[in-house]
Amino acid sequence: MKLHEGEIGKTYIVYSVMVKDAITRRLEALGVTELTPITLMNKKGSGTVIIKVRGTRLALGRKISEGIEIREAASHE
Amino acid sequence: MNDGNQEIRVGFVGNPNCGKTTLFNAFTGARLKVANWPGVTVERMEGMTSYKGIPIRVIDTPGIYSLSCYTLEEKVTRKCLEDGEVDVIVNVLDASSLERNLYLTLQLLELNIPVVLALNMIDIVEERGMEINLPKLSDMLGGISVAAVSARNRSGLKELLSAVVNPNKSIRKIPVVAYTPKIENKISKIQTILKSNDKSLDNIRWYAIKYLEHDEKIMTEHPIQLDHMIDQNYEKEIISQKYNRIEEIIKACLVKKEQGVQRTDAADRFLTHPILGVPIFLGIMALVFFLTFTVGDFLKGYFEIALDYVSVFMRQLMIGIHASGWITSLVVDGIIAGVGGILTFLPNIFILFLALAFLEDSGYMARVAYVMNEIMGRVGLSGKAFLPMLLGFGCTVPAVMAARALPSERDRKRTILITPFMSCSARLPIYVLFSEMFFPDHALMVAYSLYLVGLLVAIAIAFGSRRLLGRGEEDVLLIELPEYKAPNGKTVGIYVWDKVKDYLSKAGTTIFLATIVLWFVLNGGPSGFVTDVENSFAAMIGRTLVPVLRPAGLGDWRIAVALISGLSAKEVVVSSFSVLFGVNNINSAAGMSNLLGSLGSFGFNGVNAYAFMIFCLLYSPCIAAVATIKKETGSLSWTIGMVLFQIFIAWGAAVLVFQIGSLIL
Repeated sequence: MKLHEGEIGKTYIVYSVMVKDAITRRLEALGVTELTPITLMNKKGSGTVIIKVRGTRLALGRKISEGIEIREAASHE
Repeated sequence: MNDGNQEIRVGFVGNPNCGKTTLFNAFTGARLKVANWPGVTVERMEGMTSYKGIPIRVIDTPGIYSLSCYTLEEKVTRKCLEDGEVDVIVNVLDASSLERNLYLTLQLLELNIPVVLALNMIDIVEERGMEINLPKLSDMLGGISVAAVSARNRSGLKELLSAVVNPNKSIRKIPVVAYTPKIENKISKIQTILKSNDKSLDNIRWYAIKYLEHDEKIMTEHPIQLDHMIDQNYEKEIISQKYNRIEEIIKACLVKKEQGVQRTDAADRFLTHPILGVPIFLGIMALVFFLTFTVGDFLKGYFEIALDYVSVFMRQLMIGIHASGWITSLVVDGIIAGVGGILTFLPNIFILFLALAFLEDSGYMARVAYVMNEIMGRVGLSGKAFLPMLLGFGCTVPAVMAARALPSERDRKRTILITPFMSCSARLPIYVLFSEMFFPDHALMVAYSLYLVGLLVAIAIAFGSRRLLGRGEEDVLLIELPEYKAPNGKTVGIYVWDKVKDYLSKAGTTIFLATIVLWFVLNGGPSGFVTDVENSFAAMIGRTLVPVLRPAGLGDWRIAVALISGLSAKEVVVSSFSVLFGVNNINSAAGMSNLLGSLGSFGFNGVNAYAFMIFCLLYSPCIAAVATIKKETGSLSWTIGMVLFQIFIAWGAAVLVFQIGSLIL
């Protein structure tokens, strides 16, 4: 599922990041890479989200949160 | 390494918001601005310190997450490091967020410049019950010196300086990150080619890795023939292998004992609530202005008493020493009335900046970007563009500079275009004076309405300019939200003192000069000194503008002159009224009723006053702000166009307010 479809308070695993190149790199530098666990802290109907990743809180706009595919932490293979 | 007293150049490098600037201040004693949201260190700052007689030049670089070349900040920092401008890198880390901060560290270690690690915010780590194994961390990073510091508490600073002067000599030569054999193989091949191509390169591993990442800067500056060596971009693999290494380090060095729900999470549940977030923000801003007006006004009374005393004393002194009439008039009616009048607004300014400093240092500012993201999205800007606007309530100059944190040139220019519409603190005296004079029962509401009008005009113009300048990127907000913390007394103190000092020095320079110039053009005319101001230069200049200003209800030459002189600094509008209408202590009850009488004599009423305040809110920002805008946009024609546009908007809005207001009332 997409990042903004997740449930507030739950932890997920990043499955893929499909956003513009420059933003992918920015996310990578912030530690949002494949297989990274992230926790969805808050979200708005518009798709803007707050996540906690590697001990940091990040606010992400819709265009980014839509491009991050996540899996539930438990069901990850 | 250091013999004699040769200067050591130290570069402070680290992520945004890791406390670099606070640490820099602790070392150099420089009073640089410290803010709690990313992008505030937009220029390189330098300062001096020393350790055991060895001079140390400290260079503060903008916060970066990575040594790639995608943002302005990254380019500035990389150029500084690659061009050999520093002898030692002090890598400042937010120890409470070690995992993410180590990514930059691993890149810095590949540069082949001695690195000293400064684990900042170590006190927060301890507060949260975490523990970092420093010897182990140093060991895993190739034996570099690691110092635990707290810039806030000024602890560990001596140890850090000692490490800077004597970087660990026993650093192992093996790379800190060993990549997979496939990548290592390519690295060594590229190194060989680089070496044969340019023997002067001393950190070829860094260049080789950057080649594998398809780094544009390196590839254009050091072109080499690689044939089929780099068939693809290995950046992703290199990044993920760095993070694998970080995970190993974290596992071995960090003992985490996070308990319960952290305060930040609890606070964010309200402050970043999807529905309540915006009303809470507007409420906080309303509270800020409420405090600015009420507490500020309470303190103001004492300033007025002092000013009255000085004014009377000076007049008697001048008469006592038999100074000529015109000098007495220049000093008392010009300088003391103008400059002194401005000083009585200091309490309001003080409270405003105190409140803004609290918001910034607590960590709330960055949340506003998230909270306002949808509203800003409607006008085609990211929530991040709201941060410069918010700073604009303080002063337009740093606000315009803060727009640099925005990723695209187009968004930067659009943000710079609308930031001056946010009421800066210099416009505060105008609102205080005119709303209290003409709307004594609703002064606070009237003043707050001006802040809102400015905000709405800014948003409307952002909306309009989206059509003109084309659509920006869609919602790509990406901002780090720092942990909430109790505002630090010293940080807040420096911030506020800086602003108060700015205000005082402005009163002593710009306003002082503007007041003297105004006094002369008011008392001089084509035939020398004039007894009737109607024959003065000022009246002649002002009268040419009267026909244009009349539809806005501002058809008096004195108002035109006040507006022109306000271009030097907006406070000058108020000091000009003192001089133009001969009112001493303009901010006091007596001064106000005096001015009210003069204005009323030519039919200037509440509607005129509101149109006047609207005009002052919207017309061209002061000279200092215009110069900053020119510098930031790099375009004189764009800047001139913007100033003319803003004057036009101000005129249009004032005409609208006056015409409609006159119809209703």
